[in-house]
Amino acid sequence: MNELRQLARELLVDEKVDVVIGWEDGRRGARPAFVTAADDAERLIFDTRCVHNLATYLSPRRSHLAELGKVGLVVKGCDAKAVAGLLREAQLPRDRVVLIGVRCGGVLEVPDLPQPAELTSETVAPRCFRCDVREPHLADHLVGEERPDPPRPPMTIDERVAAVDALPVEQRWEFWVGQFSKCVRCYACRQVCPLCVCDRCIADKSLPQWVESASHPRGNLAWNLVRALHLAGRCVNCGECERFCPVGIPLSLVNRKLQQVVKQRFGYVVSDDPEAATPVGDYRLDDAQEFIR
Amino acid sequence: MKSADDSFEPRITAFVCNWCTYTGADLAGTSRLHMASNVRIIRLPCTGRIDPMFIVKAFERGADGVIVSGCHPADCHYTSGNYHARRRFALFRELAAFLGIDPERMTFSWVSASEGAKWRDVVDDTVARVRALGPFVAYQQLIDLPALTGESYASVAGLLPGGDG
Amino acid sequence: MSERPREDPVFLAADALDGLAGDLIAAGTEVVGPARADEPASPAAAAAAAAAAAAGLDKDVLEYRAVSRAADLALGPGMPRLSLKGLYLPQNEALFAWRQRGSDIEIEPAPTGARTRVVLGAKPCDAAALAIVDDVMNWDYADALWNGRREATTVFVLACGVEDDSCFCAAVGLAPDGSRGADGLLTPVEGGWLVEATSEKGAALVAAHAARFGAASAERREQAAAFRRTASERVATHLEIDADSVRDWIATHFDDPLLAALGVRCNGCGACASVCPTCHCFDIVEESDGLGHGTRRRCWDTCQSHKFTLHASGHNPRADQNARFRQRLNHKFAIYPLRFGEVLCTGCGRCARACHAGQDLVEILGAIDVAARRPDTVDVQSPETPARTVGAAAPASER
Repeated sequence: MNELRQLARELLVDEKVDVVIGWEDGRRGARPAFVTAADDAERLIFDTRCVHNLATYLSPRRSHLAELGKVGLVVKGCDAKAVAGLLREAQLPRDRVVLIGVRCGGVLEVPDLPQPAELTSETVAPRCFRCDVREPHLADHLVGEERPDPPRPPMTIDERVAAVDALPVEQRWEFWVGQFSKCVRCYACRQVCPLCVCDRCIADKSLPQWVESASHPRGNLAWNLVRALHLAGRCVNCGECERFCPVGIPLSLVNRKLQQVVKQRFGYVVSDDPEAATPVGDYRLDDAQEFIR
Repeated sequence: MKSADDSFEPRITAFVCNWCTYTGADLAGTSRLHMASNVRIIRLPCTGRIDPMFIVKAFERGADGVIVSGCHPADCHYTSGNYHARRRFALFRELAAFLGIDPERMTFSWVSASEGAKWRDVVDDTVARVRALGPFVAYQQLIDLPALTGESYASVAGLLPGGDG
Repeated sequence: MSERPREDPVFLAADALDGLAGDLIAAGTEVVGPARADEPASPAAAAAAAAAAAAGLDKDVLEYRAVSRAADLALGPGMPRLSLKGLYLPQNEALFAWRQRGSDIEIEPAPTGARTRVVLGAKPCDAAALAIVDDVMNWDYADALWNGRREATTVFVLACGVEDDSCFCAAVGLAPDGSRGADGLLTPVEGGWLVEATSEKGAALVAAHAARFGAASAERREQAAAFRRTASERVATHLEIDADSVRDWIATHFDDPLLAALGVRCNGCGACASVCPTCHCFDIVEESDGLGHGTRRRCWDTCQSHKFTLHASGHNPRADQNARFRQRLNHKFAIYPLRFGEVLCTGCGRCARACHAGQDLVEILGAIDVAARRPDTVDVQSPETPARTVGAAAPASER
């Protein structure tokens, strides 16, 4: 952590950045930190409680953060993938952000702890298992010591998806309608997602009203379906949508399912390389069409 | 929609491209081919114009099944619209199935301007398949599920046309 | 401080609760309380529940819901995920349906008669919220739907042992054994609960089911008093503010850097508003169901959404998240107290628990209280660290 703090201090003192966005200790655990003064760099931490995908603070809609100036962003690998997504889609000029990559060994599923904790198979976030970016490639600086592989959870996220997939279609319907009935349309999932950057979200359009805005299950199904579809090939599986949902809808299952489909059908896996093309808006002449008569 | 003997007749909405399938459907008509009459056609310039939300809206508004049809690959009037549609609907179909919307209620097809008979087959097969599945009441009734309070919306939903109120 | 109970306490044995719940349900009354997930009612639902369990979802989550037997009630520690608000202001409800025939419009209002309900084991913070929101629901317009449900519902709160250090009911003038907004108080004692009616409705319920209640021994009364005393002492240590000073400071420091920059971490997600027992803002939408007919509905809304104050012209007076988060504090701790004489917050702590971006009302209120009462100890703010104002003499860090 001293390496991180030292680097942040230098970047601020040398005026390479105006604000360093990282994590700090809060009363209920780690939380995002916005450090503008070099002396405050001491607040920065990095441990297993640092789950938050800070790339969301680069979103163009956060005008009050844009005012803070050039950003030094601390990123885990998954966060770097989100930054790569923003760069790929021209939502962020590369020179607006200095990326401070941290080597990561996984994070907690429930990080609301006053002290850092070791990862166990019970406490680790399932999405961390077999992570391919424990050392972010998209980074201007790289700090932190190497950490061991995250432990295997009792059920990996793919196994969780498979458990739902294994149900017959009527039971899948009942499962998801039950989940979406809880939805209160707070849009926490959209607000926290680093890739949900649309100035006017389809859910906010009233001419025509594509997505019913009332929070009944029919409207909720349309909302959750369209959000997952608009994230296909773009979602980095950071799990923030599910973590922020105040009513506990398993959103990561839906996004993970589409990640699997995108990989299987289009051979594409989201990475932190901003030069890699996206499968969205692309096509191949020999794309599979077995479902088309 | 009821047939003469009051058994269930599915309502099918078809989103078709103007240049191929719409013309093919027209050919089926001028050729006097007999086919099921359950389909309402919505004409669009290209399958690339079809947003998956159209399908969602069709189900919300009472469709029991949906057909999406356009030009064969390499024949798109706009060169590549159908390639984009192919990817888009591959994703939509898998997502819908995962969420419990039976993919058997949806038909995707390439029907060219000269394939009147193929259009007839697509229509008849879809209608038969959806008839066997029954009405997609579950989708429209989503709005009637009891809220947190346990009070049912059926009391108000019954006021809607087609309800009991 | 808790309200003085109006009736002499009686005792409800744990095994008499079944009978009481059974009586109420048999009489057609809905019994609601904190409960774990329902038993699946169909094989399909069972499979769905199994899939949810396999995916590690909804473990041990409590919700307020209708129960069919007392055994389903979880009357103990634990806070339901959402507040009681949804029983009175559903997350979405139809107001009326309309149909147009030619130039005539038929309007069919939604039924306003509410079902008779008894809530057993509500959190005192959730019940107090009902009384606080009654003010605005009867201010310039009497909300018949809200009022109807309030009249038709009898609420018995369960004295709280304090959930965790995010609870701060004492700081906003309430108490873990308070019966504000409730008709009676249950306090855990050996073998069951001490029961005290605190309104005529509550007394009527106890009288109507008198056979289920027994005498409250001196020993049990002492147990109840000790439980309540311990809880009150505990929650008082979590946060101590002078609500009037906070109110006046917020009302006169709209552009203060401390207040103006609190939304820096906030995503504008509205999770806080959805879990909050006192947040009551709603949106009204018209949904057409076809040509010439549709339904008007009302649903929960949040001032944290950028659309909340977006004008049709495109202008937005609360254009960024700092402004919107400031509004949340302003409404709850200044505007509502100035208008109705009480804070629009019951200290339940759900917002602090639900906010995964680290917006912590306990910390924020503490910082504002310091600014209000001890301004000489406050440094010039780093806008992102209101919490660090307490006592520190750090150098000014303007950006």
